[in-house]
Amino acid sequence: MSRVTVGPAATELAGEEFARLLRPGDVVLLSGPLGAGKTTFVRGLARGLGVSERATSPTFTLVRQHRCHNDRGIATLHHADVYRVTSLDEVLDLALGELVEEAAVAVVEWGELAAPVFGADVVTVSIAVTSDEGRTIDVDGAGARDRAEAMARWAS
Amino acid sequence: MSVVLGIETSCDETAAAVVDDRWRVHSSVVESSIDQHHHFGGVVPELAGRAHVTTIVPVVRAALESAGLDVGHPAIDAVAVTAGPGLIGSLLVGLAAAKAYALSWDVPLLTVNHLEGHLFAPLLETPDLAWPVLTLLVSGGHTMLVYQRGPGVHEVIGETIDDAAGEAYDKVARWLGLGYPGGPPIDRLAGAGDASSLVLPVSMTGEDLDFSFSGLKSAVVRAGEKRPDLAHADIAAAFQRAAVEQLTRKLRRALERYDVAGVAIAGGVAANSALRAAVIDLATEFGVVAHVPSLAMCTDNAAMIAAAGLSHLTRGSLGRLDASADPNWSLADVS
Repeated sequence: MSRVTVGPAATELAGEEFARLLRPGDVVLLSGPLGAGKTTFVRGLARGLGVSERATSPTFTLVRQHRCHNDRGIATLHHADVYRVTSLDEVLDLALGELVEEAAVAVVEWGELAAPVFGADVVTVSIAVTSDEGRTIDVDGAGARDRAEAMARWAS
Repeated sequence: MSVVLGIETSCDETAAAVVDDRWRVHSSVVESSIDQHHHFGGVVPELAGRAHVTTIVPVVRAALESAGLDVGHPAIDAVAVTAGPGLIGSLLVGLAAAKAYALSWDVPLLTVNHLEGHLFAPLLETPDLAWPVLTLLVSGGHTMLVYQRGPGVHEVIGETIDDAAGEAYDKVARWLGLGYPGGPPIDRLAGAGDASSLVLPVSMTGEDLDFSFSGLKSAVVRAGEKRPDLAHADIAAAFQRAAVEQLTRKLRRALERYDVAGVAIAGGVAANSALRAAVIDLATEFGVVAHVPSLAMCTDNAAMIAAAGLSHLTRGSLGRLDASADPNWSLADVS
């Protein structure tokens, strides 16, 4: 399932609308090259979950927690960026697996490396750069397939 | 006279320092684990945490010794420590050590916000500095404008909405195949390049005092991919010009709005040669004093943490021995 966006505002909106598909306990692994708009997507996603402050890049603190205000049982957004983590051992040391919580959603940027600790039931979001402003946002993963209809509406 | 031992372990550096209440630095020791991180292209959190564990005790000992204090029972009035923001594993090492020292020497613990520490750096080089001061705090993890009425009295008036300036330097440097941290190699390379060979957008041209570096980072990567013929030195020069242009543009806007006696830069990016020159020019233009710290005072050190701790001690704002580290502690939440 993929959605095409043109410009950062559209990527942010895609993130905001994507948030409506999320459920408590979800883990979203976000990938894409440098400058693709991963943090922009998360900023929209955070707004969609009712986070009032800005979701800035967590690169230097690795994980930021945001309190969410919504009526869907998602109280916390964990926003991680593991750009600088280079081995699965470090992922284990950092206890990233503990970000999976009943009343929370975890979004992990550069999360490919961390995938094994989250199990198969994740939602993957990959952002591809198609032109200066153009992006294709692809959603997949076992966690996404059980809500295919809603995903299709998001993509269209 | 009050004397405080400061401890800082929020990121790469394990640091300890002894400072007194006249802002005199008796000793300042900094041990960096950056060499270990060099080939990873960034701070590897777990490596940083482990490095602090092995260096914290020798670093504290060295700071006490070179201040002429008894290592076993130093004549100090408090132990100040960075409790956030930073990497949790790294912060916890410093905090646990500081608690142990405070408990065994029976002196108060002072928990300091790392960013508040940076705001005290100019005071350590100019103890009689005139307030208020406008500070541009730029590092790998933070980019903000702070209006300071006096020591410990501050207001955040602008900050980045996405990446920190130093983070953009680090990411562009890694993309260019340069080392970590990215600031020094880009600064060097930019000196040999032609900034006009590549036109990059200057973000955030609006009236507010906020910053944005994510778009600039993306523009550099896109431009480089489109024009593989571009020399790395030219890319570095163009990137540096756009980054410094945005920082000085916002600083200028703040100087137009706030009546201050001085303007300061702090944090790792304050070591950047183009930014230092631009801030000195701006201060001259506005007729205010430029506080451009020495390179050692730009980067993380414990003297600035001890100094911030001294202001807490003077106000009677003591930390608790059950205090926990907060990796996301915002400067706006520091009273």
